[in-house]
Amino acid sequence: MNLFFQQIINGMTLGSIYGLVALGLTLVYGILHIPNFAHGALYMVGAFMTYFLMVDIGAHYWVAMAGSAIIVAIVAVLSERLVFHPLRNSPPIHDKIAAIGILLFLEALVQMIWGADFRRISSPYTGILNFDGLIIPEQRLLIIVGAFVLVAALQLFLRKTMTGATIIAMAQNRDGAFLVGIDANRVAMMTFAISGILAAFAATLYAPINLVYPAMGHVVIMKAFVIIILGGMGSIPGAIVGGMIIGFAEAFGGFYISTSYKDIIAFGLLVVILSIRPQGLFTKGAH
Amino acid sequence: MKTLRKLGSAIAVATVSMGMTAGALAEEVNIGFTGPLSGGAALYGENVLSGIKMAAEEVNAAGGIDIDGTNYTVNLIALDDGYSPAQAATNAKRLKKESGVSAVFVPHSGGIFALQDFNEKDDFLIMAYTSVPSVTQKGNELTLRIPPTFDGYVTAFTDYAMKHDGKKLGMGGATHEYAKIWAGMMKKQWTAEGGEVVADNPMDYNKSADFYTGVSRIISEAPDVMFVGGASEPTGLVVQQARQLGFQGSFIVMDQAKLDEVAEVAGGLEMMEGAIGVVPLSVYETKPAQDFIKRYKAKYSKMPGSEAAYNYLAMHALIEAMDKQNTTEAKALRAGVPEALKSMDDSKNPYEVKEVDAGGGFITETTLAVVEDGKIVQKPIE
Repeated sequence: MNLFFQQIINGMTLGSIYGLVALGLTLVYGILHIPNFAHGALYMVGAFMTYFLMVDIGAHYWVAMAGSAIIVAIVAVLSERLVFHPLRNSPPIHDKIAAIGILLFLEALVQMIWGADFRRISSPYTGILNFDGLIIPEQRLLIIVGAFVLVAALQLFLRKTMTGATIIAMAQNRDGAFLVGIDANRVAMMTFAISGILAAFAATLYAPINLVYPAMGHVVIMKAFVIIILGGMGSIPGAIVGGMIIGFAEAFGGFYISTSYKDIIAFGLLVVILSIRPQGLFTKGAH
Repeated sequence: MKTLRKLGSAIAVATVSMGMTAGALAEEVNIGFTGPLSGGAALYGENVLSGIKMAAEEVNAAGGIDIDGTNYTVNLIALDDGYSPAQAATNAKRLKKESGVSAVFVPHSGGIFALQDFNEKDDFLIMAYTSVPSVTQKGNELTLRIPPTFDGYVTAFTDYAMKHDGKKLGMGGATHEYAKIWAGMMKKQWTAEGGEVVADNPMDYNKSADFYTGVSRIISEAPDVMFVGGASEPTGLVVQQARQLGFQGSFIVMDQAKLDEVAEVAGGLEMMEGAIGVVPLSVYETKPAQDFIKRYKAKYSKMPGSEAAYNYLAMHALIEAMDKQNTTEAKALRAGVPEALKSMDDSKNPYEVKEVDAGGGFITETTLAVVEDGKIVQKPIE
């Protein structure tokens, strides 16, 4: 029975990280209709910024997390201002090419500065909780709790604040939003900033139990794209539920069937869900 | 500050290499490299390249080499293949065509097999850095294998683990080509010696986000020994997570991972008590090895691994062979390297490799180390 619960914990840990990364991706897609391939690179930059702040500056874990979130938010906003905004009237393919360009640029830049070495971030939470054989390292618990808190905070922001409402309005109807005088530039920058913050938080939460290196974004961004297609492009609940579905599929499939098949199970699930609901689990729009 | 310095050195390197290309018109001999310099295996590629580069720079600093009375400097041309065999083949073709290299260093078995399809026809020597035995068993006449083959390790590790740890083995190796061949031989050897493989659950070390699930699956079968190994760093995560999940047994660590590097990620050698693996370079006490470590540290300010040391000595042997044979012709170099290994100065040969077998494999003693009481201890192989 313990093994079963162990897999639930594993699934929730993975699902939380995937969900956070997918959330940023889906927000940007929902509002600007840009598949931001560079999102995985933002996640990677987030981990490196935390590493830099903790190791080179000596900041505390939480301070480093906040600092990293600010820096990545700025990078994300800059990418919107300097790259996506000038391309707003071009064919969609230009956005995609530009996104891949940003991805390659950020990866090469980080590798040039820090090298290709694998690095580790140590978190202050290294203890291991043992509930009668069910083992939960503190950092994994922190990931799950952290993800829930962030999702709740995002919901509050979108529902209870005026700025949040403008983002939702843009997602629901672009023209309508313009008609009531919502500033598209502001919303676009805000959305990119939020996606950057989420990516940095996800990376900082996950990095202590993983490795930090320039190519670390590839693994999660692939999953994040699957998740937002699965959950419905642009849907916030879709990203969260999709993240959990993929996380649990990997944990349970990997344990009860075979680790070599865990990706096949996750992608198989995608095929099945899309053939039943081609538009994704949830309809489009940040409701 | 550190960042600025790195940026500075990057610019300096760019300027120097530009200067080198300008001077390339006259007396330079080109040597090629294709390996992963970006992506998940970039660190491995960089480590290999660092050893080759260090040898080339030492030779150039000492005035280069003489071929038929003309003085040459060595020019190393490194291309990135991102670990892809197809890209490695393209790179090799390009190196041959554009730069006329007579030898190409390749640090991965997939790339080596790809190059072996045409290297004899295109007339260049493959400096193969892989322990897969078959690269020198297929009769390719222009291949030199630099590290020892892993079949020696498989038997030695199995013997030791069976004797000290128990009969039940859980397989948790990686899924890339090299690891699969290793795991296959390991499994065969283990059952041949009367052991039992209780779990077989390879994991993708390069693309997995997490190993908890895979590791808990192996541990649930209660093995005495766990077979692990891909690149050192993810292996460290696997070891750490196995310990967190309560695994008490020992590990057999595939030779791609180095015990000291694994321990750094896993959280110290205490986490690896009983682990069996190859002897890391840092544990070698011979003078050539220690001297090499000192020079490497001064240059790159980090501890070299075996990939740097092996490629360093291979590059030196290759250059020495050019010097001695008075040619850059691939066949002559293939014949000249064994002699060069014998005659070259020990300071250029941290592993003191002296011989090459008929198939083109450098002959190195198989070594085995065990983590005992938080220390890496070299053990004799029975």
